[in-house]
Amino acid sequence: MAPDRAVAAQARPEQEFFCFRVGDLRLGVPSENVLEVFRAGLLTPLPRTPSFIMGVTGHRGEVLPVVDLLRFLSKGEARIGPRTRLFVGITGSIVAGVVADTVLGLRRIPVADILPPPLGGDAAAEHLLGVVQGATPQDGINLLNFSKLLQTARQRAVAR
Amino acid sequence: MNDEHGQEEQDVDILFFEIGGGVFGTDASQVLRIDRSLPEDITLPELGRLHRGNRALVFDTPEGEGHLKVDAVRGVRSIPVTQLRRMPPTTGAAPYAVGVCLDEAHTVLLIDLVETARTQGTQGRH
Repeated sequence: MAPDRAVAAQARPEQEFFCFRVGDLRLGVPSENVLEVFRAGLLTPLPRTPSFIMGVTGHRGEVLPVVDLLRFLSKGEARIGPRTRLFVGITGSIVAGVVADTVLGLRRIPVADILPPPLGGDAAAEHLLGVVQGATPQDGINLLNFSKLLQTARQRAVAR
Repeated sequence: MNDEHGQEEQDVDILFFEIGGGVFGTDASQVLRIDRSLPEDITLPELGRLHRGNRALVFDTPEGEGHLKVDAVRGVRSIPVTQLRRMPPTTGAAPYAVGVCLDEAHTVLLIDLVETARTQGTQGRH
């Protein structure tokens, strides 16, 4: 890193997020929780899973459970189309594919720009690290506490 | 010759069958025979609504024979074990959904027939 950039980073620390859109939501996940992105293929539905588990898919010789964040956050229902992408999310030993309608890319966000989740928000707010405001309200990004989210998803799935 | 023998040991015979338009697989060694179905046979509506359901996979359980209604039997194929995966526990799927067969274009859900009888309790012929 160039000295001036290093100084700037110290002065204004940033965090990198993988940003995407699903349904009407613009979401961000810490980039260290994302392994890769690939085009969604055929999903195999599973019996008796919670509604936010859309099924499993094979990828690089492994079986990935596919998570619908819209259902998990009670914000609707994701649909798989020809342009749908899955990103491989990981925390500890939990690995899952997560549905994304559009990938917005990696963004370095100054930590100081991350606002706390809205007080009195809905149940989805408990899975937010914070929010970043954009030029317009539609450009804002909700930053997910992805590790907590995946752990909660696993607990909900296994406890049934 | 040894290689061929080794290859056979690394393959598992999977019986593929259909329920409600979906294709599923099971360890063929669990299947005693394919029979005509009866109304009281085990059904798995979670896998799909049966179209005809006039066939039954007959398998052995500690309580006797179990009969799972299916629409059709596609046949048996030898699948390398390297293409078989256990179900990730994080899915919380039904206990009879034990794994997945990774095919070229898609994945096929693998069903443990004996577990279907346990899951269904008193339903079905024994």
